Amino acid sequence: MTLSPRNRELAFLVVVGILTAVGFASVYIARQSVVSTTSLTYAGIFLGVYLVAHLVARATVPFADPYLLPIAGLLTALGVTEIYRLDPKDAFRQAFWVIVAVALFAGTLFLLRRDYRRLETYKYIFGLSAIVLLLLPLAPGLGRTVNGARLWVGLGPLQFQPGELAKVLLIVFLAAYLREKREVLAQGRLKDFGPLLLIWGLAILVLLETRDLGGGLLYFGIFLAMLYVATARLSYVAVGLGLFLIGSVGVWKVTPHVQERVTIWLHPWTTHKVYCPSTGTPQLRQDCQSYQLVKSLYSIAHGNYGGTGLGRGTVTDLGGHALIPYANTDFIYSVIAQELGLIGASAFLLVYMVFVLRGMRIALLAGDGFSKLLAAGLTFGFALQTFIIVGGILRLIPLTGITLPFVSYGGSSVVANFVLLAGLLLVSNRANRDLLR
Amino acid sequence: MIVGSVAVDTALLILKIAFLVLLYLFIWRIVRTASRDLRLPQESFILAPSREGGVATQPPPLRSGRLVVVKSAELEDGSDYMLNSSQLTIGRGGQNDIPLPNDDYASARHARFEPRQDGVWVQDLGSTNGTYLNGARLERPRRLTPGDIVRVGDTDLRFEQ
Repeated sequence: MTLSPRNRELAFLVVVGILTAVGFASVYIARQSVVSTTSLTYAGIFLGVYLVAHLVARATVPFADPYLLPIAGLLTALGVTEIYRLDPKDAFRQAFWVIVAVALFAGTLFLLRRDYRRLETYKYIFGLSAIVLLLLPLAPGLGRTVNGARLWVGLGPLQFQPGELAKVLLIVFLAAYLREKREVLAQGRLKDFGPLLLIWGLAILVLLETRDLGGGLLYFGIFLAMLYVATARLSYVAVGLGLFLIGSVGVWKVTPHVQERVTIWLHPWTTHKVYCPSTGTPQLRQDCQSYQLVKSLYSIAHGNYGGTGLGRGTVTDLGGHALIPYANTDFIYSVIAQELGLIGASAFLLVYMVFVLRGMRIALLAGDGFSKLLAAGLTFGFALQTFIIVGGILRLIPLTGITLPFVSYGGSSVVANFVLLAGLLLVSNRANRDLLR
Repeated sequence: MIVGSVAVDTALLILKIAFLVLLYLFIWRIVRTASRDLRLPQESFILAPSREGGVATQPPPLRSGRLVVVKSAELEDGSDYMLNSSQLTIGRGGQNDIPLPNDDYASARHARFEPRQDGVWVQDLGSTNGTYLNGARLERPRRLTPGDIVRVGDTDLRFEQ
């Protein structure tokens, strides 16, 4: 039985709808004393929103990869389920942002359905607007500091994180720029790297200024990966990684904020009391600086193999206070790992891997340099972001606050990832259409 | 709450198992169908040939050709444009490789000629009046064969190899 790509997409979306319904039903039954009956309507709303996205894809990108949209749907639905389970009010806002994101997704597909490659012409506009977006939070009056990082822009009651969207714009710029310059870059003359290093250096400076370490790591990784795809020179990757290591040690030496992150990563538990900067008194480190990380590790461990079941996890203490601060954004993975267990959390990571697999396949099939670079860059950015946050939570690397794509609570993140998805579908549509001919 | 707690526990266990089973089925189906939809050309997503291994492995060369002006109000008849490694754009705007500044029927960026590994392709860039290949309006990119006539605005170009 061979289904057309779009029919296959529809079939998978129906499965996602069932999964969403099962998830919400579970949360509803487990927490019926707390939550209202409206919870089940969420699954319906979700299926509706994705059917709209599917119809837009049918009209604009008929040949595109059929699995990406259902995967994104599954991840956002699971995210909203967990956000709902933590706080129904947040889920309402997140659902609103998912609708905005799908609208932007549809808009992107519609605008670029003929030929997304004309974006190449406007590459410097993309590069500059990425820098401006990254700089916005530093603007007096607009920027807001949350959690020690100045990453948000506030407009009345609305807040958003322009860095998320800047990521996508920067990838478009890099794809266009590297496509044009890859031959001279491969020769390795320093002067050819000028504009590239300038834009990249600006981005890194801005990130240091906003103290967004996860973002810095992400941008640098994307930059290196795309440079490698464009030039096939492993030496660039080696030099880049070397520079990164030197830079990291330098930043670690001079920045107390970074030193603290590394200490928490290596030694989250202490047996004797150490100085606690937030209270100024001696305390065990797990009760102070590494409180969040340690509670998150306990949460994952509590999930065991099978998990506690959706809605049954322990996320508050007896007094009703949240156990893990910011559980719905940076730490949503530990809540999922607790409620779905090792089996579910592995499946969850597998879903991310399948998404990346499909993305890399699109890069493989894409016919021209710009499309290849764009697909590879978008996919790698997605993969690296997932790795940085999940790796941080699991103590594989130092923890840096960054959102888990599609799942974390946060409007800008969901919107940016849906635009990223639209980009991948556009490249895929073109590549598959050319293959069929 | 306490009265029905056994029933609730059973219901939740069933839902949990259903959720996990469905999740794995979802992944398995994607991986399985994806591994079957073969016809994957043995290509790399790396663009440039590797210079690490001593002998450089070159990708198949791009097809080349040239465009000869057959009839035009603006370009000299018989003049030609080479299509080698890079693509050529044609249109009213000055940034085009083949500019037609005074052709009222041409759009700013009208059409693109692109040498690929399997031949030279022509594509309309969303122009107002369309691009015509041997008299038929282009709906999607087409591969050119020698002797094809491409019409953009008031200009006819012949493709030769």
